[in-house]
Amino acid sequence: MKVLSKHDFHTFVRALIRDSGMEVEGVKAKGGKFAFGPLESTEELRLDYDTTLLPVKKYFLPQYETMMKFDLANPFAMQQPDFPARKILLGVHPYDIVALRQMDSYFLDTETLGAFMKRRKNTLIVGSDVLTVSSKAFFGCMGTGEVHSGYDLFLTDLGERVAVELGTEEGARLLRYAANLREATPVDVQKVKALRSASAATAMRGLKVKPQGWHDLLGKNFDSPVWKEQADKCLACGSCTLVCPTCFCYDVQDDINLDLRTGERGRTWDGCLLRQFTQVGSGEIFREDIVDRYRHRFHRKGEYLPDRLGFVACVGCGRCALQCIADTADPVQMLNKLFDASPHLVEESVMDPHTVRTNLREIASSEEILPLHLPQPGTVTRVERMTDRETLFTIEMESEMPLGHQPGQFVEVSLFGTGEAPISVCSAPGAIAFELLVRRVGDVTTRLHALKAGDLVGIRGPFGRGFDITALGGKNLVFIGGGLGIAPMRSLVNHVLGHRADFGEVSILYGCKEPRELLFREEVAGWAKRGDIRHKKTVDRCPQDTPWDGEVGVVTKLIPQVPFDPSDVTAIVVGPPIMYRFVLAELLKLGVSEHRIIVSLERRMKCGVGTCGHCQMHGVYVCQEGPVFNYTEIKDLPEAFT
Amino acid sequence: MKPRVAFFDFASCEGCQLQVANLEETLLDVLALVDVASFREVMKEHSDDYDIAFIEGSIARPLDEERLKRIRERAKVLIAFGACAHLGGVQRLGNRWSPEENKRVVYEEADPRDIGDTNPFFEQPRHRAVEEVVPVDCVIPGCPVNRDEFARVLVALLTGKKPSIPNYPVCVECKKKENVCLFTVGKVCMGPVTRAGCGAACPTFGSECEACRGYISHPHEQAQTDVLVKYGLTPDEILSRKTLFTSRYLEGGRPA
Repeated sequence: MKVLSKHDFHTFVRALIRDSGMEVEGVKAKGGKFAFGPLESTEELRLDYDTTLLPVKKYFLPQYETMMKFDLANPFAMQQPDFPARKILLGVHPYDIVALRQMDSYFLDTETLGAFMKRRKNTLIVGSDVLTVSSKAFFGCMGTGEVHSGYDLFLTDLGERVAVELGTEEGARLLRYAANLREATPVDVQKVKALRSASAATAMRGLKVKPQGWHDLLGKNFDSPVWKEQADKCLACGSCTLVCPTCFCYDVQDDINLDLRTGERGRTWDGCLLRQFTQVGSGEIFREDIVDRYRHRFHRKGEYLPDRLGFVACVGCGRCALQCIADTADPVQMLNKLFDASPHLVEESVMDPHTVRTNLREIASSEEILPLHLPQPGTVTRVERMTDRETLFTIEMESEMPLGHQPGQFVEVSLFGTGEAPISVCSAPGAIAFELLVRRVGDVTTRLHALKAGDLVGIRGPFGRGFDITALGGKNLVFIGGGLGIAPMRSLVNHVLGHRADFGEVSILYGCKEPRELLFREEVAGWAKRGDIRHKKTVDRCPQDTPWDGEVGVVTKLIPQVPFDPSDVTAIVVGPPIMYRFVLAELLKLGVSEHRIIVSLERRMKCGVGTCGHCQMHGVYVCQEGPVFNYTEIKDLPEAFT
Repeated sequence: MKPRVAFFDFASCEGCQLQVANLEETLLDVLALVDVASFREVMKEHSDDYDIAFIEGSIARPLDEERLKRIRERAKVLIAFGACAHLGGVQRLGNRWSPEENKRVVYEEADPRDIGDTNPFFEQPRHRAVEEVVPVDCVIPGCPVNRDEFARVLVALLTGKKPSIPNYPVCVECKKKENVCLFTVGKVCMGPVTRAGCGAACPTFGSECEACRGYISHPHEQAQTDVLVKYGLTPDEILSRKTLFTSRYLEGGRPA
């Protein structure tokens, strides 16, 4: 540990601002509160701050960010943004350093955000001990009041002197701007220790369950009435997530400029408390009630992210509690209420609640990271209008390589200036071209419907987990598809029909609302003619005078009509949420075992790479672990079949 | 051929039209995209040949209703432009009392012979949103409208996209701007239930949000009321916050 006199410290900061060639951002006063901002003088720096309005995540995942700029006439010659000069963040509190390390783990381990990486590597962190504890902070009981890594330099303002600890060589090099740097005396070291224990002891707030126990407490109390009680006060304004240092969800949006020729695709913060967060193109919302959104936030922090990444995604900064005007976002309040309502022995996991294994220095340099948000060009080679709402597109990648998908996977289809939509691939793997069946529901799909052969689209993917062709080999299969669910299902059906000898008995049941909504009409007619499979189709209703050679009624009616041995069949079920409820109940009643039921779920797959948060269903990222699931994997998740 | 746009003012201050007139550096970009058929704030000429009609103001008198219906027949796209057209405006507050009472209060000292029942200029009609009279294709909310949003909606219309306005509360924009929450400095604000898209214009400068953009589609109104009570507002004060721009909701309306 080194020390600088206060005077020499100010000289040091002045030199950083003037001579380092880096942008120095520090904590400054803002309307009676504090915020990080460009530091113009050392006098502005307020190391005595309690907490900042926003955490330092704003420097790494900014509130608004241009991801790419494009010219609509030649969109694939897109420009990626320049990144700003090197920065120094001055005065980052320990809990925020822990949060930043969690952010590393979230984004760098998934290797998806080149921009995050570039900024992270471009920024030096100068930490600072907490001199004033905010009224809502509880980092003392979260174990985040002190850090031993994650910074380049670390400061402790001792009044007359400022203690300086070295974190990295880069941090040490900053000290060339410091004069009269001396070794700390034992008294200085003692003072630093005392200050740390005092601030940790102040930031307790009587949290009754240690972070190691959150997982258990939350896991066992999903249905507690306390959630509703607390959510009744919640405005669902999203503030708690926006100010949270460990909330990273984002939305992506396209804009076209007034010249109507150029535009950009940008990213902005989003939050799971906001109603439209889970809304898909067809309008469905998967967490409609505030209580579901309210609860999701806590479970993500205390259960889902610990399961996924090994740390509790709360660092006890107290920002959510400070900024929640309804006084309901506070984790201490919520967890204590939950504990009081159901006082049981909380099992503590052995994990260190804040261990982050990601090592920034071991991550490849930014140039080597593929920017996964960049769409690749594909050419529409064929367009077939199927119904009033659905059109089938055949697409070839400009690379002239097959897409390389598994049946059941999806791609993000990109139209510059409009946006992206996740669409299941509906053709079997193997061919150079692949097919997408698109229902017209939102902006992107409406515009897609206007495309003609020869037009370009952007493609990202394939993403997610599809059907496991190998595991299905030799099995008796019954396909049950409803409505648009036939699209992802067809990718597997066509693979199975193309490799008929590799599979056992095959039945295909397909239902839609009305005859005019029947998709893949000719292929479906072909199924009926094949001797080596059984096929039945039905419509919910058949208007008079409409020719129809199938059944009338819901798809479950077809199940008894195809003989299969329930103990030796694998059911593949894809359809709208309502269909799952009935079909699954019917299959289970017949005695089909749970692990032989395979489903594919729809959610808002915005990024496709497990970072934007929209498709998350409990701890599951549908875009990564799904959309295809074995029923046993998700049957106990209350949100799965709502 | 460029689409032709027209601006029409009903019961309003015409401040929303002024926002367009004041586009400054982007005005020329806009004029490169459209021809203006009618725009009283900036030109004398008027033509009844237009594609996109921007309707400013609330709809009050029978003759306003007729005029609006004629515009609707002529326009391919009709936009409710600003808080008066979207919600009925501040003037809609008057709907809470009878026309007779309003007339008595407003013209108390006037000679009854001058403001008699037959004089149409002294009528106290009910104020309605445009949408309550004719079908509306899209809404640009706000008092006044936000210029950037106007430009975004125009671009959406001209590129065949469905114009979308945010459906999250003003709090989101305040937080992103790292504003100090007004509730934490002794003020109260309608931001938590109010539709964003203004860039949190008022709170950013320390003024309380008055919900001029209307509510988000599913506001948690009870929670907002509880918060206002908690922060010390009386029932009357709460009512006045909930009626300044948003009495349409209290009348049972659920605007877009």
